[in-house]
Amino acid sequence: MATIQDRLRIPWSGGAKQIAFDAILPIFIIPAMLLLASMSLWWTIFTFTTVVIFLTLISRFFIKNIPHTKFFFLWTITTLTVLYFIFEFIVIPFLEILLEENIALSVLIFGFVISVCLMKKRTKQLFMIVESSRNDKEGDRLKSCNICQIKVPSRDRHCLWLDCCVGNHNRCLFISALFFATSALTYSSNLTLTSVCHPFTLYRAILLPDDCSDVYKLFELGLSFVSAVYSLALAAILLLLFLQQLVLVSLGITAKEWNKLPLVSKLCLGMFANRPHSKGFCRNWTQVICWSGNPQYEQFNQEV
Amino acid sequence: MLINVILAVGLAILMILVYFPGRHARHYSYIRVENVLDEILWAAPVQSKLKNCSYEDIIVKNVDVDISSIYGTRYFEIPLKGGEYKPKNCTPLIKTALIVPYRNRATHLKVFLNYMHHFLQNQRIHYQIFIVDQNDTLPFNRAKMLNYGAKIAIEMGYPCLILHDVDLIPINTGNIYGCSKTPRHMSSSLDTFRYNLPYLTLFGGAVAILSSQFKQVNGMSNKFYGWGAEDDDFYRRLITNGITPYRFSPEISRYTMLPHVKEIASSERFTVLAQGSEQHKVDGLSSLSDESVIKQEDLYTHIFAS
Repeated sequence: MATIQDRLRIPWSGGAKQIAFDAILPIFIIPAMLLLASMSLWWTIFTFTTVVIFLTLISRFFIKNIPHTKFFFLWTITTLTVLYFIFEFIVIPFLEILLEENIALSVLIFGFVISVCLMKKRTKQLFMIVESSRNDKEGDRLKSCNICQIKVPSRDRHCLWLDCCVGNHNRCLFISALFFATSALTYSSNLTLTSVCHPFTLYRAILLPDDCSDVYKLFELGLSFVSAVYSLALAAILLLLFLQQLVLVSLGITAKEWNKLPLVSKLCLGMFANRPHSKGFCRNWTQVICWSGNPQYEQFNQEV
Repeated sequence: MLINVILAVGLAILMILVYFPGRHARHYSYIRVENVLDEILWAAPVQSKLKNCSYEDIIVKNVDVDISSIYGTRYFEIPLKGGEYKPKNCTPLIKTALIVPYRNRATHLKVFLNYMHHFLQNQRIHYQIFIVDQNDTLPFNRAKMLNYGAKIAIEMGYPCLILHDVDLIPINTGNIYGCSKTPRHMSSSLDTFRYNLPYLTLFGGAVAILSSQFKQVNGMSNKFYGWGAEDDDFYRRLITNGITPYRFSPEISRYTMLPHVKEIASSERFTVLAQGSEQHKVDGLSSLSDESVIKQEDLYTHIFAS
């Protein structure tokens, strides 16, 4: 909580006005999107499409012109807050969700928040490690990130949405954040949809929604339904990312290398591609899971 | 330091707000399936050559009905005029009046009758279905309609009343439609509530109560127009009379609700509920007018009241 508040403050007190403006945009866009979408099915389709198009355009603009923007990170925080608020204060008062289901969801969200906080902490530590040993020879897998302006071991990507570089130092946390976020979003959307729609049981155990035709007739139902649809869409995207990460780590390549692979090779999950940095399935994973700062850095130097 | 204390207190308040049990659906205590037979109040068997109907296998070998099949035509014996049925090859030990308040739900009624005759006949009980139709233009008064139905059923000598909504369909065959010694909330595991119980004192939907108990609490209140709270008032009446209703196992208490838009609670419900408890003696079965018309239909007894 404290970290979130701390980060929320940055655009207000610190940076230039322009940056503050782009950063606070999501605080207005997301609630407006959900409120408009809750009016009718056509509004839902319309607002969601508009937001997707808007995001594609604005992200290009931001990456080009304001690479340090907190817009994407604020988008994540606002989404998390708004969805959680709708769940706790609109869906829960329908009195259809058990206390343990609510607690289970909180645990998943907590797992996500902790993973992201640790990711950022490790990146900060990395900054110090790399600074202190700048004079050393640099490993060829140590790539610099021009947004964070640090060198990252086996840099995978700069995650705009978490405002954090992903490399071997925090890849395990990134994967766990993806896992927790996907599960939390799927679970919360299932709880919401089975509350506001007509549910049915699959194999007498799993409850799934089957008829959501009446949700737009009542504002609370509409808003809950739309937030669940939004969660489900995010969950789908994050699930793909999560699976991609699993494949990439198993193969020992980065996202960039993956993109360069020919289509045939991608279809074979890159098994037969040339992977100069891969150390085999098990060692790739231990390297990601057991990353612990300095020793790893030394290992880079030894390899050179 | 002070900020930390404020933060901690704030966090604690937030935790209580978020995880307060009253905000959630509840787990509840219930009679287990194997004890259900001991709880049912059996009617004294009439002297006859037939042997008594057995109910054990109905409860023990209970199965869930496929929900998609409830709309299909189901086989049942044509009941006597007025929707009364007695099993022919054994003497029933359960005699129940099924009272259904109703207005303007023709499609639901059709599905309900088609399903319930089949369902109840399979349970080998003596039953009669009463549809109580509100024929005025005021908002729907569920409790008053139930009072009319109960009054007529009691006059006809039914010892057990089941107060039932027309949009509820029991989906477990072991959900026995007889009265227990204590009034019983039957629809505790409803699909539109995710098979959970919204709150512990919920006493609406489908309820089984002995006629003697219904008379003892002077029935339900006649003052609740619109949707909501009449069942809460009924629960209070029972509690003030020292009767605490219970529930049977969720396994046999599964219901499905026929599709319609979720209703919004009437805004006056709490004001009427607040003035409730002193009114129990004067408002209820005793304050009912005699202006009701009874019509015997093929599948049910139709009562018109207002």
